[in-house]
Amino acid sequence: MDISVLLFYGLSFIVLCFALAVVVSNNPVYSAFYLAITMVSLAFVYFILQAYFIAGVQLIVYAGAVMVLFVMVLMMFDLKKEKDSFSKGRMSNFLKVSSVGWLWGLIAGAIYMSSDLLSMGATLHNKDGVGTTTKDLAKLLYTDYIFAFELLGLLLLLIAVGAVAVSRIKGGTHA
Amino acid sequence: MLNFESLAAIGLNHYLIVSAALFCIGMVGVLVRRNVLVILMSIELMLNAVNLSFVAFSHFSQNINGQVMVFFVMTIAAAEAGVGLAIAVTIFKRFKEVNISFFEQLKG
Amino acid sequence: MGSDLFEISVNLIKMIIIFVMMVQLVPLLVWVERRGSAFIQNRLGPNRIGPLGLTQLLADAVKFIFKEEFIPEKTKKFIFYAAPVVSLIPAALAFGAIPLSMPINIEAFTMFGESYGPYRFAFQSFELGIGIVFVLGISSLGPYAMLMAGWASNNKYSLLGALRACAQSISYELALGLSIVGVLLLYGTFDFSEMIAAQQGPLNFMWFGKEVTLGFLPNWGIFYQPLGAIIFLTAVFAETNRTPFDLPEAEAELVAGYHTEYSGLKMNMFYIGEYGHMMAASALMAVFYFGGYDIPFVTAEDVNAGVTWFGQAIDPLLTTVASWAPFVGDSLAEALGFSANKAAIGTAFVFHIAMFAKILFFLWVFVWVRWTIPRFRYDQLMDLGWKTMLPWALFNTIITAIVIFIMRTNWS
Repeated sequence: MDISVLLFYGLSFIVLCFALAVVVSNNPVYSAFYLAITMVSLAFVYFILQAYFIAGVQLIVYAGAVMVLFVMVLMMFDLKKEKDSFSKGRMSNFLKVSSVGWLWGLIAGAIYMSSDLLSMGATLHNKDGVGTTTKDLAKLLYTDYIFAFELLGLLLLLIAVGAVAVSRIKGGTHA
Repeated sequence: MLNFESLAAIGLNHYLIVSAALFCIGMVGVLVRRNVLVILMSIELMLNAVNLSFVAFSHFSQNINGQVMVFFVMTIAAAEAGVGLAIAVTIFKRFKEVNISFFEQLKG
Repeated sequence: MGSDLFEISVNLIKMIIIFVMMVQLVPLLVWVERRGSAFIQNRLGPNRIGPLGLTQLLADAVKFIFKEEFIPEKTKKFIFYAAPVVSLIPAALAFGAIPLSMPINIEAFTMFGESYGPYRFAFQSFELGIGIVFVLGISSLGPYAMLMAGWASNNKYSLLGALRACAQSISYELALGLSIVGVLLLYGTFDFSEMIAAQQGPLNFMWFGKEVTLGFLPNWGIFYQPLGAIIFLTAVFAETNRTPFDLPEAEAELVAGYHTEYSGLKMNMFYIGEYGHMMAASALMAVFYFGGYDIPFVTAEDVNAGVTWFGQAIDPLLTTVASWAPFVGDSLAEALGFSANKAAIGTAFVFHIAMFAKILFFLWVFVWVRWTIPRFRYDQLMDLGWKTMLPWALFNTIITAIVIFIMRTNWS
């Protein structure tokens, strides 16, 4: 038994349990805290997958910024215990959950049956000789993906303007 | 069928199955929850599941392109959360309501 | 962690020692804070218990432990208890990732008849290639503790304090991150050790493709990134919620901010978290802009030679005294005898003292500023963060990139 195997099982157990808790929890503030824990444990999964920069960005962006925003907004709302936090209709809910369960079963089955293909594909793709360090990531981002990267910057600018515009609406029909 | 050797040697499959499970949990959240903010959080879960599979593919095929995609997904997710929260806050300030079924009644 | 039992146990002990070092520095800092404030305000400060009031800390600690544990009704119990612990984690992890001295290279040696291979021990809790990103990510988890405390207390002052603290941390994180980008461009690495290695020796830079050396200045980051250093220091003040940015705890408006309902040891843990953040920030300041453990105009070889000379000078005395001991005299003399490994350890400790002097200096700056500058108003705080510091940090990043490109290109 290797330590990384234990780490993988432990971390994926934590990730899945807290992800489930996000969905099941009745209080949205607790949901947000659980999601934050999920994000942090996912960052550690990225660590054991040797994607160090992505792990750091996950900590900074998701756990540090997005989830803090969620928690802050929820605390500002200060919701008391919700009456109808789940959708009504026992039958429809059962159908929803079971169909998603079927979907997971299908995906897992497909992965299990194509495991040979997956391992073969893993050896096929590495032909362009690009390394896997953060420097290589940066190089790729600023050469091959430069157009997408610039578009992303534009998108972020638009989003910033849009978010400020939306939250400054005073109410009423005539904005 | 299920042999323990494959359980002890962590490969791409294990990560993909965890990722699929995470995605499905997020999907259940989107389908059954009524609170807008919890639905947004469930969408974040789904995006994270996709990120996990990207990073796993990138690690096991030694190809950094997957991590570039994760980078993009994270940025989009942050932007989406920002706008979603701004809209939720605006509606809450006006109507004191976060239930998604209420949102159907909003008009132009 | 290590390949054999010796290395693993040394690394574990090292982790514990660095954590304990951080926690044990807190009472000392509280003393410095109180005496320093008294000094600045022309008072005496705590001076009754022990010499210079130094054992006041002990009395305080005892008081904190034996205080009645009062928890208001209608709190969310679990989160209320968890918040102080959570506040401790980011500071401790961030401080552990920063190298406090040069790594110790131990050559092969024999102990108790067994030989141990050559080792390299880094003078930090754990070594990560992506030091800065990790520290930024971990310290961005800090707001959770405040939010948890504020929300679980079920008190409007706590909640307001928590929301303020959180908004402030998020706002200043941008300026903080951008001010570091200049440093990253300069050294081209995320790794703290490489960063410090790049700051050794005299000031040495490229001037339109030609190398220029100025012997009278150390090669520290502050001379390349003065604006970045100022922005970083200011943003760090805001991140650690210290005056002039202590809006979350503004006593006059919010009773005590997010920890209004806390008392005793739990309150103390918030303090340890805050001071831990200050220590990590001071260490980062030293690493980025003041050469880390670098001693100006002195190389590692010089220090090693000095330590070796000192060790050899006291070696005969030590071994003679040790050999007088009954029964174990010979082995004790052997253990105390001088060797190259001990010189390496001594060198690392000399550099550690240099690093620590820098950290203590910046901690004193924290205290100094707190008792000198009044508090901002909340809108002024946000204006400063978004309208002044963020544009200047962006400007600093762009200018640094352009200057580095121009200076490092060979134009001839």
